[in-house]
Amino acid sequence: MEILVNLDVMMAKRKISGGELAEKIGITPANLSILKTGKAKAIRFSTLMALCHELECQPGDILEFRE
Amino acid sequence: MNWNKDKSIVLSQVCVAVFAVCLLALDIGCRRFAYWFAGTRAWDFKYADQLSAVILGGSVFAWVCLWKLWRLLVNIRRGKVFVAENVRHMRVISYCCLLAAVLCGVSCMFYLPFGFIAIAAGFMALIVRIVKNAFQQAIAMKDELDLTI
Repeated sequence: MEILVNLDVMMAKRKISGGELAEKIGITPANLSILKTGKAKAIRFSTLMALCHELECQPGDILEFRE
Repeated sequence: MNWNKDKSIVLSQVCVAVFAVCLLALDIGCRRFAYWFAGTRAWDFKYADQLSAVILGGSVFAWVCLWKLWRLLVNIRRGKVFVAENVRHMRVISYCCLLAAVLCGVSCMFYLPFGFIAIAAGFMALIVRIVKNAFQQAIAMKDELDLTI
């Protein structure tokens, strides 16, 4: 049972680089990398909101629950 | 004088250094002190040897404690507060206090007031252990916070 972060898929769909996305949502590329690689233990609503805003998607497009 | 966090840490380090100097003086003059003390109490001089053995034995734990306190303060000064190394330092300090309590507890068989020192050392071990537990919890919380994006 886990939560998968499909951020790299959405970034590829929107053709946006990690550095560019990190700058637009106001987090460091290192933190974005932690998020992308699934090492993060939690995500703030503000970060999720900024990601959804920049990637023009829903939270469910970025996060996925898997048994 | 403008008091701040750094000056407070420096004061703590100075206190550790002062304790180290006092402990060194006690170690050097241990035998003389024990014989003088035995003389004031009209003890057999075999008790003076036992007293100096207890002081020297206890000073080993005290040296370890002072060294670990110094390392702890160096880490805090560098901004490394909630790190696993500090928990290890506190664990060692706690065990040293406990061992000193046991030593004093055994020694109260020939000089009863050592019992009071044993109780104080045991209580100190307990306090340091609880602070160590709090640090462990704080490290876990910090890790979680660091990985919250």
